[in-house]
Amino acid sequence: MNPFDIKTALLAKHAQHIVLIHFPIALFIAGVAFDFLAQSAKRRALAGVAYYNLLGAAIFTLPVVATGLLAWQFQLEGQKLKGILLLHLVLGVTSAVLIWIAWALHVRARKHLESRLPIFRLGLETVAVAIIGLTGHLGGFLSGVNGPN
Amino acid sequence: MRRSVLIAGLAAIAVISAGGIVGGRKSLAAGAQTKTASTAEVKIDNFSFGPTAITVAAGTTVTWINRDDIPHTVVSNDKVFKSKVLDTDEKFSYTFSKPGEYPYFCSIHPKMTGKVVVQ
Repeated sequence: MNPFDIKTALLAKHAQHIVLIHFPIALFIAGVAFDFLAQSAKRRALAGVAYYNLLGAAIFTLPVVATGLLAWQFQLEGQKLKGILLLHLVLGVTSAVLIWIAWALHVRARKHLESRLPIFRLGLETVAVAIIGLTGHLGGFLSGVNGPN
Repeated sequence: MRRSVLIAGLAAIAVISAGGIVGGRKSLAAGAQTKTASTAEVKIDNFSFGPTAITVAAGTTVTWINRDDIPHTVVSNDKVFKSKVLDTDEKFSYTFSKPGEYPYFCSIHPKMTGKVVVQ
C-alpha cells in the first residue's frame, strides 16, 4: 500500500478502531503516571501535564467508542454478542467512563482553586489502568495481532 | 458321478452370480447414499481456514467448526452465506446446490480467507 495514497489508507481493510485505540491508552497511562509524580513531588506543573494528558485521553475515547460500535454494526451486523466480544465491549465502555471520571475530577480541582484533588482519584486511576489493560489484552486477541501474519 | 459334479458346478456358479448381483446392488446403494449425504468439514484454527480451498460436488454440505480460542465468522464475499459469530467449538453449515466458486472470509479478521469450489 502506498502510504501517500489517502484514499487507500482511509479505506484499508482494517477497522479504524484498532488504529485509534492506542491514543487514549497511551495518553491515559501517561496522565496517570504524571499525576502520581505530581502527588509525590508536590509539583503543580506535573499536575498540569497530567491534566492535559487526561484531557487528550478523554477526547480520544469518543472516536474509539464510535468506531468500536460501528465495527460491531458493520462487521457483525449488530448481532448479539457473547464471550470475549461481549466482555471487550463491557470493559471498553467501563474504561471510557472511568477515563472521563478521572478527567472530571481534575477539571473540578482546576476550576475551584481552593479545592484539592481528592486522594481517592489515584486509586480510581489505578483501577482504570488495570481495566484498560485487560480490555486491550482482549482486543489484541480479537484483532488477531497474536495470530500468524 | 459326472452328473453330480455338473450339478455342483452349476450350483456354485448360481451362488456366486447371486452373490455378485446382491453385492453390486449393495455397492450401488452405498454409492447413492454417499452422493446424497456428502459432507465436508473446514476447521478454523490459529487464524486460518483448513483446508484453505476445498472442492466439493453440488449438493454437498460444508461444515465449518471453530477450533480456535477466539471467535470467528464465515462470510462469503457475495453474501451467499453468512454465519453468526462462532465461539470455540461452535459450527456453521451450508449446503452448496449450485456449481461455482465461493470465496469467503472472517468478518472479524478479514485477512482470514478461504474458498469453496462446487463442481
